[in-house]
Amino acid sequence: MSEADMAIIKPEMMMKSYIWLETADGSIQQVEQEVAMYCPMICHEVLQKGLGAGSSKNCAISLPQRVNPAMLSLILDYCRFHQVPGRSNKERKVHDEKFIRMDTKRLCELASAADSLQLKPLVDLSSRALARIIEGKTPEEIREIFHLPDDLTEEEKLEPLKNLMDDPRIRLLNRLYAKKRKELKEREKLKGKEVEERVDERSVDDLLSFINGKDHKVVKTSKSKKKNKKRKEHKNKVSHNLHSKQQGTQSVVDETASSLGGVSNLPSIEDDIFSLKTDSEDGYMDDGMDPALREMLDREVEDFARRLNSSWVLSSGQERQPVHFSINGNGATRRLTAIDD
Amino acid sequence: MIQEKYTGRYQNLKVAEALSNNHLYPFACNELSSIIDLGYSRFPKDLKAFIFRDCLSAFRLLPDINTSAAVSAANLLVKSIESAFPKQKKNVAVVEFKQAKVALKRRSKSHDELIDMPSLPQDILVHIFSFLDVSSLLSSSQVSRSWNQATCEGSLWRSLFDLHFSHKVLIHIHSGIDWREAFKNEYILYNSSKMLRSGRGYCSFCDSVVWHESLRCPKKQCRLKSGKKPLDLMLTHQVVNYLLGTTSSSDESDSEDEAVCGLWAYPTLQ
Repeated sequence: MSEADMAIIKPEMMMKSYIWLETADGSIQQVEQEVAMYCPMICHEVLQKGLGAGSSKNCAISLPQRVNPAMLSLILDYCRFHQVPGRSNKERKVHDEKFIRMDTKRLCELASAADSLQLKPLVDLSSRALARIIEGKTPEEIREIFHLPDDLTEEEKLEPLKNLMDDPRIRLLNRLYAKKRKELKEREKLKGKEVEERVDERSVDDLLSFINGKDHKVVKTSKSKKKNKKRKEHKNKVSHNLHSKQQGTQSVVDETASSLGGVSNLPSIEDDIFSLKTDSEDGYMDDGMDPALREMLDREVEDFARRLNSSWVLSSGQERQPVHFSINGNGATRRLTAIDD
Repeated sequence: MIQEKYTGRYQNLKVAEALSNNHLYPFACNELSSIIDLGYSRFPKDLKAFIFRDCLSAFRLLPDINTSAAVSAANLLVKSIESAFPKQKKNVAVVEFKQAKVALKRRSKSHDELIDMPSLPQDILVHIFSFLDVSSLLSSSQVSRSWNQATCEGSLWRSLFDLHFSHKVLIHIHSGIDWREAFKNEYILYNSSKMLRSGRGYCSFCDSVVWHESLRCPKKQCRLKSGKKPLDLMLTHQVVNYLLGTTSSSDESDSEDEAVCGLWAYPTLQ
């Protein structure tokens, strides 16, 4: 009888040992020991600092910064399931599949937190899930999902990615774009030097009078001067235009780029075509570019525009409407058709 | 009898399964397009029915997949359908497609507010990238500065090199080797882009055409048996030939004489 009593009493008297954990924000919670010990980092802490560590609220084990309370509870759920030795592989797999279903933000947090706790299986699980999200997407789509900034320059996006599904015509276009870009860059460098020279000659007064459009007399007599100023103004503007147009068209062009399946060259070439047009169409310009070259470039640009239209129409796509480039009065190319919204 | 063969082979191709996979969806659509283009008229009734069913499910799944690659592939599929299908089936398919487009539009309109995302530490990024295929890795390298840095990690390119080329290429490994460059050179040399475009390979161990996972057969037993050796990759037209039982050597319309490089820019401008 007494033995039976003992048998009953014993398990009740057995205390489950708990470990106290403190997250970076100061909140403390207690966790069953075997669950917490599933995390290598916690395990090490306990072993290193001796058995007193984490045994009470006062000497709670402080967790790395990347572990916030929400993530901690997630991780502990994971540990609680897996530390039970009796589970089959299939059970664990099924649990993991369900466990990992969450939005991307939480997945990132989870991967970070698991890594700082050195919980390798969970790191693998969350990394694989994130990899599955990234797979097969264009850079723009990835940026959207992960809310990442587009902070690479065109040069750094060194080698343009082409979707494996790509039409060979698009590849050809890309290569021509790359060639174009290089030519334009070299010409930019040449022009850049000239612009710098001329800017110094102008005075503030001249600029002001031009801007205010002052005395007609002044205007009449100094018509040729004005032409010169216009030329210089325009040249200066070109570099500004380039920049602002780059910003402006980026979003519009990005849509096209992504609809082409990641032709990331496209935005920069658009801008180059803009800049090319503003340069060559300006009749005043006489910066040493011989007319033959200019003509050839004009022809190439038109050829491009035609190619763009034809190849986009030819290759897949009801939704890819041909983008019409036209040259309007002031010499800038403009997109006429907006992209299918 | 021959008719049954077609249908049986088509079932083995498991196109429908690939459609629900985010990554394989474009591959599957392109294969469907090729199959329709090259052989639809010859197929028996039941095979035509299967293909029709798979096209419809492709369009129904499109809003869930929602990547630009998927949309392009679906467009191609619609084009093939428009030229090959009989009127009634064509109309049903096109309606389904248009509904998918509407659903897509609706999804893109509901954009979440600017969420503050935690930035992933570099070694986690590298770990994530270790699970990616070449194309996705290169996409990732263009996303942002920190991601770009992570993709430069040599170990990533080394394992890709091993995966793709180690059975073909003996390479002297010196201490300063740039694995990315090494990979790139072999990739261009072997015209890998072409072979990877279908997503298909032939596994000699299970004697079937499969959707390869990292150039290996998805079946575990085959992977164990094959060890390091990757599958024989197949071109889409070869898959269609398998389906039709023909041995035509007609290649795809793109002439690869100029475009040898695929993923990398053609280095003519040096």
